[in-house]
Amino acid sequence: MKAQIKYIVAICLVLLAQTGFAQEKSITIWWAQWDPAAGLQQLSQDFTKETGIAVKVRQIPWPSYQDQVFLNFGNKQTDFDIVVGDSQWIGRGATKGLYLELTDWLEETVDMKSIHPRAARYLCEYPAGSGRFYAAPCETDAIGFVYRRDWFEDAKEKAAFKKKYGRVLTTPDTWEELRDLAEFFQRPTQKRYGVALLTGRGYDSIVMGFQPFLWSWGGAWGEPQTFKVQGVLNNAGAVAGLEFMRTLVALGPPGAASSDYFHSLDVFSNGSTAMMVNYFPFYPGIVAAMGEQVGFFKVPGHDGRRVISLGGQGFSISTKIPAAQQALAKQFIAWFQQIKVQEKWITYPGAFTANTQLLATEAFRQASPYNATFAESLDYLQDFWNVPVYNELLAVAVRYLGQALDGEKSAQEALDALAEEHELILMQAGLLK
Amino acid sequence: MTPLAEGRRRDWMKYGFVGPALFVLIAMNIFPLIYSMVLSFTNVELTGGEYRFIGTLNYKIVFRMAKYAEALRTTALFVLLAVASELVLGFALALALRPRFKAKAFVLTLFLVPMMLPQAVMGLYWKLVLNGDYGVFNQVLGFFYLGQPQWLTDPDLKFFSILLIDVWMWTPFMLLIALASLNAIPAYIYEAAAIDRASRWTVFRRITLPMCAPLLGLAVLLRATDALKQFDLVMAVTGPNDGATQTLSALLYQVVFRDGKVGLGTSYSYIVLVVVIALASVFIRYLGALQKKEGRAAV
Amino acid sequence: MKILRWLFIGVYFCIAALPLGWLGLTALKTRQDSISVQAKFLPTLADQSGRKSVFFSANLDGYRGLNQIYAGAQYTFFRYLGNSVLIGFFSTLAAVALGTACAYGFSRFRIAGAQDWLFFILSTRFLPPLAVVVPVLMMYREFDLQNTHLGLIVLYTAFNLSLAVWLMKGFIDEIPRPYEEAALMDGYSRLQAFRLIIVPKAAPGMAVTAVFCLISAWNEYGFAMTLNNQEAVTVLVYFAGLQGNVQGLPWPQIAAGVLLFVLPIAVFTVLVRRHLLRGVTFGTIKR
Repeated sequence: MKAQIKYIVAICLVLLAQTGFAQEKSITIWWAQWDPAAGLQQLSQDFTKETGIAVKVRQIPWPSYQDQVFLNFGNKQTDFDIVVGDSQWIGRGATKGLYLELTDWLEETVDMKSIHPRAARYLCEYPAGSGRFYAAPCETDAIGFVYRRDWFEDAKEKAAFKKKYGRVLTTPDTWEELRDLAEFFQRPTQKRYGVALLTGRGYDSIVMGFQPFLWSWGGAWGEPQTFKVQGVLNNAGAVAGLEFMRTLVALGPPGAASSDYFHSLDVFSNGSTAMMVNYFPFYPGIVAAMGEQVGFFKVPGHDGRRVISLGGQGFSISTKIPAAQQALAKQFIAWFQQIKVQEKWITYPGAFTANTQLLATEAFRQASPYNATFAESLDYLQDFWNVPVYNELLAVAVRYLGQALDGEKSAQEALDALAEEHELILMQAGLLK
Repeated sequence: MTPLAEGRRRDWMKYGFVGPALFVLIAMNIFPLIYSMVLSFTNVELTGGEYRFIGTLNYKIVFRMAKYAEALRTTALFVLLAVASELVLGFALALALRPRFKAKAFVLTLFLVPMMLPQAVMGLYWKLVLNGDYGVFNQVLGFFYLGQPQWLTDPDLKFFSILLIDVWMWTPFMLLIALASLNAIPAYIYEAAAIDRASRWTVFRRITLPMCAPLLGLAVLLRATDALKQFDLVMAVTGPNDGATQTLSALLYQVVFRDGKVGLGTSYSYIVLVVVIALASVFIRYLGALQKKEGRAAV
Repeated sequence: MKILRWLFIGVYFCIAALPLGWLGLTALKTRQDSISVQAKFLPTLADQSGRKSVFFSANLDGYRGLNQIYAGAQYTFFRYLGNSVLIGFFSTLAAVALGTACAYGFSRFRIAGAQDWLFFILSTRFLPPLAVVVPVLMMYREFDLQNTHLGLIVLYTAFNLSLAVWLMKGFIDEIPRPYEEAALMDGYSRLQAFRLIIVPKAAPGMAVTAVFCLISAWNEYGFAMTLNNQEAVTVLVYFAGLQGNVQGLPWPQIAAGVLLFVLPIAVFTVLVRRHLLRGVTFGTIKR
């Protein structure tokens, strides 16, 4: 009897082992190391609860994120199933066969109308306007302004401003109004400064900072279909925009001509600057640190034109993984796009959504001081080139724009030289005929 | 033991001593070197994919485009200025620190600390110290009414800022080796000079300096080969794409990682390698001559 | 002359020590104080919020932050420190041991092509590491050495061997041959002579070399990030991870981390200071 029982127990254990320790399904997601990624990891636990598929969000430090992702793509099989890639990477991913094409699948799984059109166009679609998708929205981002509400609402300041400029001290709607405000608050002797723009040279801050000026003044990086740059990037509007940016840079803290995302953040957080423009994920931290002192407004326009730099990353599925993994990845992405998941997603610090339904709700707008501004900004989003050679275009743009802001070249000279180089790069890439 | 057996035994001994190190170096270097060399003749990209041989096109591109020569020039200037400053400063400090005094160990260890700090992070930290808005350095300067140079953003100053940080960090390297070389000079030589009533300057010029020269020369060689690869500081302080500070490693990073052109990048590094090998062999020959003069074993 | 000397030492002491002192102060501040427009020099225990002065309230949040598992990191700072210690210590040990033996070989024996071998060893330093990242990564994936301690140990040993061999050869060349020749004539084997005569006399050189090798392995970033960013992660990668903090760069935490990070090396240097200060002394053997 005892022997029989032992035998049965043994068989049960073996069967249990087969099922309980069966090959656990899991997906690996690579993202940069920052709070939204930590949020994604936590959120994905819900997915695991629902489906039993484990999700590992590997976070690579930002400074090396791009390097490690593309290095990894060079292997026969990537270490990740999903990469939450920067918006600019999409051209590279698409044309080099690194990102799985999602066009048909995305359209039948997700209601495309629920994704904000700008996010869809710049985060998911390549080439622009073609209707082919290589990514699904994950983190949708934009730049926006934060300002010292307590300074703006101070009675003495309001009076002085009214006296000097003849209008009420309030958040600006146009760049010219912003310039007046910056001028008004620029008090170097008191270590107070007007505005901190994005002008860093390390990677792309200066380009993201320049774009609103470029576009609002009637310039553009180039023509999206023909890739012509001359006459578009260096037209009179673009030059005027760059010159205007220079005047604004002079109305900022020392070193304002070369201030990246973190530096701009610091010069605002330390209480010395009145206004600062940056990407929205930085704002939960500012609100936590400065609370009632700050307010937000969307990037101003010029001459009725308002264009705002887009940011953010989308989910892309690697082509270098087995089909079974790709299916799991799709399952996760589809799950993520659901509105109930999106509602939970945005509760994590630094996480933002492109879900049009959610953006329109009052609950969203009230959830934090910057949400309303964020929701309003989405309609104006535009991005830099996302073609495969975006890095070279970016590098050259950073150089010349930097020289313009440093005073080494005039705005016209800088943009002329830049247009020429861009056309050269696009020609070498076979895009410009 | 017969002479033959003795000879063979000595051979085993020889290779026993030098073998392991050489084995590690060859094993770790041979594949990367050869593979990179091969890659430099292709248009391979970072993200893999198809690539083909394109002959010497990459090399032609490097010779033709100005930015490669510029990076080389920036690096050469950097290496010269940095190593020279570190040598002079380090040696002067070693001379100053020679006599015994209380707390010598403490002072010396403190002097060595900057060298022990990670460059990648110190670059960030110096941004905190040197920036124009809240940096403490400019605040102190302002207190003494000494003006507010924009160390990190003024195009004319950026290069010198990186240079200064490098000198701050690496002078201890020279200091340590200079100390070791000074300590190696036997006391009896100084005693003999004292008997001959030689002046301090003569002692320095004819005894101290020449006897330290070989080790110092070696230190210069080692530090120079490190300085020409300077990347972490540049990356942290100005980014790899800054005209004023783009050393060859920074440009290499830009080309290989950002532009994704691995073949082009490696061809550039091989051209640089050839230049460095040429310069180094000349310098080593000079070092060997120095050592011979001092009666030491040839290199 | 003496005054000049002390002035010189004093000035350099300030240059070396002041930034370190500021680092120490920054580690004790809140993030807000570390980026304050009014530089704060003097720590107090009282609450200084809202006051624009040179005082700041000192706290240990910078250090405490290291003990928290930061957003996205898998472990606290101290786990990464442990990895760095392991990798640094073993690669230094290997580099110094192999390097000293190799240097002795080249110094004392006649080896065919010695000049060329030595030049080859040196030349492994010339190529910027960035140029060989792709092949090294391939090699490591092939041998499954990515994300292992052994992988980086071997890599750093190879990196440091050129320094170790050349430095140690410089030091061993200084040791006059008569010392070992006397021992050999007394019947000691070559190995014994090496162990009992050369090593003690070369100890200062080994100390110097060990310090440099440790520093080089300790502070390496490029390959640490590329090869070991999931497991066996070193502190440099941890620091890089701090650069994504959406609340801005956590300066106090970075400062605290740097200070703790430099501590093991400083301790090691202090431990070998006798050797560092001693140098090779020669006695009475005339040339």
